[in-house]
Amino acid sequence: MSIPQTTVAPPVPTGKPKMRDMARKEERSFYLFIMPWIIGFLLFDAGAILASFVISFTNWSALSAPAWTGTLNYTKLAADPLFYKAMGNSLYYGIGSVGLGTIVSFLLALLLNQNVWGITLFRTIFYLPSVVSGIAVAILWIMILHQDFGLVNSFLAFFGIKGPGWLVQPEWAMPSLILMSLWSAGGSMVIYLAGLQSVPTHLYEAAEIDGANTFQKFWTVTVPMMSPVILYNLIVGFIASIQGFVLVYVMTNGGPANATLVYGLYIYRTAFINFQMGYASALAWILLVVIIAITAIQFTVARYWVYYEGDLKQ
Amino acid sequence: MGKHEEELAREMRRRGMSRRDVIRIGLQLGLGAASMGMLLAACGQSASTDAEKPAEEPAAEPASESIFDANAGNTGAWPVSAVADPGEKVEISVGHTWDAVFFERQLQFDKLFMERHPNIVVKAENTPWGEFRQKYTAAAAGNALPDLLYTQFSWAQETIRSGMYIALDDWIAKEKDFNLADFTKPSLVSYQYDGKLWGIPYDEGPGNLYYNKDLFDAAGEAYPDDSWDLEKLKAVAIKLTSGEGPNKIFGLGELPSPGDSLMAPNYLFPFGAQYLSEPKEDQCLINNPEAVAAMEWWEELRAKGAVPSPADLQNVAWPAFQFGKIAMTLQGSWATPPIAAGSKFNWDIAKWPKGPKAHSTFSAGSAYMITRDSKHVEAAWIYLNEYLSTAGQTYMWASTGRGSPSRLSAWPAYISSKFAPAGAKNVEEAMSQGIGTHDIIDQPTGPRVTQAAGPIWDLVVAGQKSVKDALAEVFAAVDPIVAENRG
Repeated sequence: MSIPQTTVAPPVPTGKPKMRDMARKEERSFYLFIMPWIIGFLLFDAGAILASFVISFTNWSALSAPAWTGTLNYTKLAADPLFYKAMGNSLYYGIGSVGLGTIVSFLLALLLNQNVWGITLFRTIFYLPSVVSGIAVAILWIMILHQDFGLVNSFLAFFGIKGPGWLVQPEWAMPSLILMSLWSAGGSMVIYLAGLQSVPTHLYEAAEIDGANTFQKFWTVTVPMMSPVILYNLIVGFIASIQGFVLVYVMTNGGPANATLVYGLYIYRTAFINFQMGYASALAWILLVVIIAITAIQFTVARYWVYYEGDLKQ
Repeated sequence: MGKHEEELAREMRRRGMSRRDVIRIGLQLGLGAASMGMLLAACGQSASTDAEKPAEEPAAEPASESIFDANAGNTGAWPVSAVADPGEKVEISVGHTWDAVFFERQLQFDKLFMERHPNIVVKAENTPWGEFRQKYTAAAAGNALPDLLYTQFSWAQETIRSGMYIALDDWIAKEKDFNLADFTKPSLVSYQYDGKLWGIPYDEGPGNLYYNKDLFDAAGEAYPDDSWDLEKLKAVAIKLTSGEGPNKIFGLGELPSPGDSLMAPNYLFPFGAQYLSEPKEDQCLINNPEAVAAMEWWEELRAKGAVPSPADLQNVAWPAFQFGKIAMTLQGSWATPPIAAGSKFNWDIAKWPKGPKAHSTFSAGSAYMITRDSKHVEAAWIYLNEYLSTAGQTYMWASTGRGSPSRLSAWPAYISSKFAPAGAKNVEEAMSQGIGTHDIIDQPTGPRVTQAAGPIWDLVVAGQKSVKDALAEVFAAVDPIVAENRG
């Protein structure tokens, strides 16, 4: 049996021109909105980024013309103990500060998601440290961590414990900076708070009907629903941590004994103290590669623990 | 900003302090983070205001704030250059890095210069020390250097070899009364390369022992004099150490560190030891037995608590000597104006004491160069020729008591200056008697040497490594670097 073929005139697209107009308008709005960033990027960043890539293949002190050296700066990295030291320190700081920061800010968000009197005030108080300027934070923490009369060691002394020289002993300097990074936990706390408030209440109601206790509701509803937010904070926080510079520069300047020589500070020293711009550029590009690799790993692993509403999990 | 913070910020600006100084002082005073932030902002304003201040307007407020009289030290014996003044107005820019006290003097000089040369407008740029090199390296990369630029001994060779300046020999040759022989020999060392002179030094001076007379009087101790040796220095430093916490007084301000390019003459040479082979700096000698013994000898002062530990440095207002917390400190004579302006106690200077094998102290200085980007080289030379003439050095460095002029002919005016310390003669004698030596780390490899050695020495300071082991590590790290200077 054959199906009779009929010639059907195509429907007259009565509504299409209007839709196309709307799409074009939306497209124009899109470009309009991203234009400030695009213009800023092209004017101030793109040239410098491309230039730094070219400079990374040269020996350039910025005082005279650069000399082409091919991949020498990259091969030199492999034999540079300070490269490994700085990278190790940055990873140590990144993992420590992001890991601790995620736990603390998530728990804070849970606490501040309660419906109690004065909750807005509490949220403001916990967020407030995030808006204090970096230098002021550094000064405050130098005082808090001071070996002789700092708040931390005074507290430890109350229990008969002699506190260490937090910022002046090599083995304690990096843990001190990690501890200090909690100061800005308010920033990610606000993001977690927004995420918590968007978790549908019917999921908790359903869990309650199923007999789930508080921890089970947290583990099987809150955490999966918050997992995209956790992933976002992990990625953004890790990228920011591994590029950390200002507080380390002010508080320890990489010391003692290079214990806090983070990668950003090493790039700065190489470029603006030793004036080895080519080598510093190579260091910067390697950092970009490392950040891309770590972010890719985070996204890959995310498949196994991040849940997006509407996704079907095997 | 509260009244007290305003006063403090004003005082800090007057003393020419950096942001790091402010942090330390604020800590000692127990200022809150908000007040500290405001103070830091105020100090930042100070720096930028100074930098942006046009040189042709110095007579108004700045001159009246200066501790120096604008006409004092003006001998009137200004050299007449063989180079003619420009026929029409030109502007030259000069990059300085003065403390706030001395920048006022700079503006006074520039005003007088512009009165003598109405067609040359001098624009003085004053940049904080910590930002100076970064700023002008970026300017060099953009071919936007000022006409004249301050240059310190430690980076002179590197910048000369990179082609940042023009050679001055031809210009000097034009001037009948320039008299290069008037310059002390060590003062020229860092600015010579390839048989040419690339900069004119304005000072070259020895490290001196600054001491707080009030602390000596309180302890009933006689002031340092020529009879002192390093054993005496050590004994007195321990004796003058007293108190605890923020109120502690330290006998000596600092100890040697291989992270310091000026270390060897004061701390190693007196014991017959060396850091690098001078003057080529092509071998590291710091793990030799005599160097190890010398460094161990100095570390005994740390063990006695006679010098500030890293933790002490966090609670001692800095510069500690100016705040009366340090009994003795090793400083160049250039530290005089801020100390004179800021210290509320009696003080003086003596020669650095002699050691068992030699009597030695560092000698270092700075210069001004004409940059390759100068668009008015003639005008720049006229300025440089007067600025660093005997009259110029007398006006700037001798009459102000800042000291260590590079010209021998300017030394008498320094020693007789009312701003110079009573012991100023010691500065001159340290140079004329050959105690001051320019055998300091000043080759282009220098910054990498000190950066490699400093972190290793941190472990000695933290009490986690012996002097001998640390110096062996310093040798292993530094010798390959200085090997670049061989051949």
